[in-house]
Order: sequence, then structure tokens, then C-alpha cells
Amino acid sequence: MSDHEDIDQRLARLSGETAALRPTSGFSARVMRAIGAESAPSFFETTWFSARRMLPIAAVAAALAVVWAVQVDGSVDDDLATSYASVGFE
Amino acid sequence: MNAGQLEQAVDRVLAGDRAAFQLIVDATSQRLVRLGARIMGNQADAEDVVQEAYVKAYRALTAGDFDRRSSTNTWLYRIVVNGSIDAKRSRKRRAEASDEQVDAGWDGAAYAEARMALSELDQWLEALPTDQRAALVLQTMEGLNNTEIAQVLGVSEGAVEQRLVRARATLREKRAHS
Repeated sequence: MSDHEDIDQRLARLSGETAALRPTSGFSARVMRAIGAESAPSFFETTWFSARRMLPIAAVAAALAVVWAVQVDGSVDDDLATSYASVGFE
Repeated sequence: MNAGQLEQAVDRVLAGDRAAFQLIVDATSQRLVRLGARIMGNQADAEDVVQEAYVKAYRALTAGDFDRRSSTNTWLYRIVVNGSIDAKRSRKRRAEASDEQVDAGWDGAAYAEARMALSELDQWLEALPTDQRAALVLQTMEGLNNTEIAQVLGVSEGAVEQRLVRARATLREKRAHS
């Protein structure tokens, strides 16, 4: 710093002289690798996201199974009712 | 890349296009590394801080935590400045690697001069607390006004003014004693 250079002059000079600073070669690729590692899903996330896609299908299948079970159960009751009725009339 | 294109790249990342983040990095890394280096006085440390800042930014974007109340540029500045202040307070200085390479096509002599100037800047500003140093760098080297500095540092404009006055007073006192 020269005797005549005040604080703002020195800051302005150093600002100009450091303007050529830039990232070292491969910095951008390094950042994207770090982001790739950050966003790579864990085993739990992979399992959860895979399972989540099957949820609507599983829900429909469960609903159909309940309907089928109710229908089958109803027809069994009718058969039993019929057989009891026939026993009663005999 | 202008500010509008930068915001469009952010839109793409928000829509799930991870590759668009590369555009943000390419457009902003030179300015952010230079900012970090001027605050930390060391380019290797600055690159570590800026890398961490990008990871934080990506995480915030994909989690929907970036509310866009400030511009993307200001937001990235804030992450880097806060990271630089925290790192400078807590981390030991990393040795500058002598074999660091700059991309082909850049002026090696100008880069070497810039590294020497960075060393001079660091020795000169070493006497300042990091928050004052950050305010001074943002004003005199990055060209931000007090309102913008207040946004970046997350403090009032009065606090910015106070830091700048104190920083200059410390540097004047240091000069008087040298």
C-alpha cells in the first residue's frame, strides 16, 4: 500500500486484481457429483417409492377381494337358509 | 446467462429437471468462488464452501424450501456468504495446492496475479471480524448497495452501515500503527 493510497483506493485496486479469480478445472463436475451423491436414493427410499407405485393397484385388488368375499359369503348363507327351510317343512 | 435465464433454470429444477442445475452452477460458480475467496482469503476453502452451498441450494430447491422472495442470485450470495463466515470462524485454513489447474483458454498470468492480490487482500483484512469483512467485500468489491448487503447478511441496513464504519476504522487504525 503506497502512502497516497487510501482504503477505498486499495480495495478498488485489489478488487480489479482479484477479478480474474475463477474455479479450478473440474469444479463444476465436482459439484454435480456431490449433488448426485446427495440425491441418490437410500434403500428405504427406493423401496418406498417402488411400493408407492403399487398402492393404487393393491387398493383396487383389496376392494375386489372384499366384494368377492361378500358375494361368496352371501351365496353360502342362501344355501344354508334353503336347506334349513327344507328340513323344517319335512 | 442473464437473471431471467437463471430464474428459468430454477423453474426447470423445481419441475424435476436435475440437469438444469448444471446450468445454474456454470452461470454462477465463477462469481461465487471469487466472492468466497475474497471473504476467506483462500481459493481452496472458497471452493469447498461454494460446493457445500450448491448442495444446500439443490436440497432446498428439490424440497420446495426456496420461497423466491429474493432473486436466485441474492439467495445464492446469502448461502455462500453465510457458509464463508461460518467456515472462516471454525475451520482451519486448507493449504493452497500448488498444482491447481485453471481451465484451458484462461490467462495464466492474470490468474497468478489474482492469487497474489488475494493473498495481499487476506493479510490486510485479517484484522477484521469476518462479518465486517464480508460487508466490506460485498460493498466495495461486489458492488452491492446497503439494502442488498442487508438482504444477503440477513441484518438491518443500520447494522450493515455500522459494520462498514467499524471495518474502515479498524483498517485506518491498522495503517496508523504500521
